[in-house]
Amino acid sequence: MAARSISYEFTKGLLRNNPVFVQVLGMCPVLAVSTSVVNGLGMGLATSFVLVSAALIASVIKPIVPSEVRIPVYAVVIATFVTIADLVLRAFFPPLSASLGPYVPLIVVNCVIMGRIEAFATRNRPIAAVSDALGMGAGFTAALMVLGAVREVLGSGAFFGIELFGEGFTPLLVMILPAGAFLTLGVLMAVFNAAKEGSHMVLIKAESKAEA
Amino acid sequence: MKRMIIVLTLATLFSGLVLAATFVSLSPLIELNRERALQASLAALFADVEDPTFEQLDVDVIDIYRGVDSEDQLIGYAVRITAAGYNGPINMLIGLTPELTQIEGLQVVENLETPGLGGRITENQFRGQFRGLNPTRAIRTVRNVEPDPEANEVQAISGATISTNAVVEAINRRAQEAIDAIRAAEGR
Repeated sequence: MAARSISYEFTKGLLRNNPVFVQVLGMCPVLAVSTSVVNGLGMGLATSFVLVSAALIASVIKPIVPSEVRIPVYAVVIATFVTIADLVLRAFFPPLSASLGPYVPLIVVNCVIMGRIEAFATRNRPIAAVSDALGMGAGFTAALMVLGAVREVLGSGAFFGIELFGEGFTPLLVMILPAGAFLTLGVLMAVFNAAKEGSHMVLIKAESKAEA
Repeated sequence: MKRMIIVLTLATLFSGLVLAATFVSLSPLIELNRERALQASLAALFADVEDPTFEQLDVDVIDIYRGVDSEDQLIGYAVRITAAGYNGPINMLIGLTPELTQIEGLQVVENLETPGLGGRITENQFRGQFRGLNPTRAIRTVRNVEPDPEANEVQAISGATISTNAVVEAINRRAQEAIDAIRAAEGR
């Protein structure tokens, strides 16, 4: 594989190859904890921490890990960082830890992480692996926050916990319930893909013009 | 074959060491946070008392806290009650007046109820209804009519029957037991 620039590896996770809107990975936390912006941010950062640390370790230890036991070894590495993240949240951010509940330990089975390790980290040098993980983590966090923002504004009438509307506002309860997560995700994904398609069309038109 | 075993063993061993170190260094903080959350909930039960302090009574099975104000006057008791909620346990504290004849208040310490529905058990509109009720008689829930506090009634949260009943039933089941335990422990 031709080596690509570090900035390419980082930016691809943000939009072009966004783990949520394009790869549709890690749907369980995306749907479950995106009830508010703060929850989305917390979950996104915890996942990013695990993703980056595990990608770095996996990329470094790759040469000594026999391929038969690579899955259990990487699972142990991921589980270790998830437990660390869980303990740190409980020690320093107890309210956030309470609102994320059982979803922090469940980062272990988030397929974004195993996916990036298998598909990228173990096939690239540590620097590339870390920039890929940082980009994917940032893309995941951003997606969770956008989803959280839509659901919090419509479902609780607040943004970052600050009340937006007066007494007269009746929150759309469905938006904080699981059904609201599916509705928001579907609409956002459609918008995202339409925008992607749009920019693609512009590129193609520009190219064909240049050729003519 | 041999290499597989060595690598996997080393990986788990190393991970175990890292986790043990993290756990040992962070667990005092985690314990402190839990204690702080409990103290905050206890203080919120007796909101009109300044600087209350609480001490756990030496009672089996039930967690009971004896509260005193800054002049060492008894302000009441708090009892930890766990209800089986809709999505998991609801961890609550109920406050009792020093005479043990009235409920002082209700605080929800931890819950996993659905936000906006069962999650409203944490709102004052629901919790506040328990203040002044008689803990020695069964509390009843009513729907669509004004609850009568004299008859030990509270209004159910609409759309959250299971959460409401869980809270009320747990109090009904445990309150008398707690009162007996307090009487025995305090020798009265």
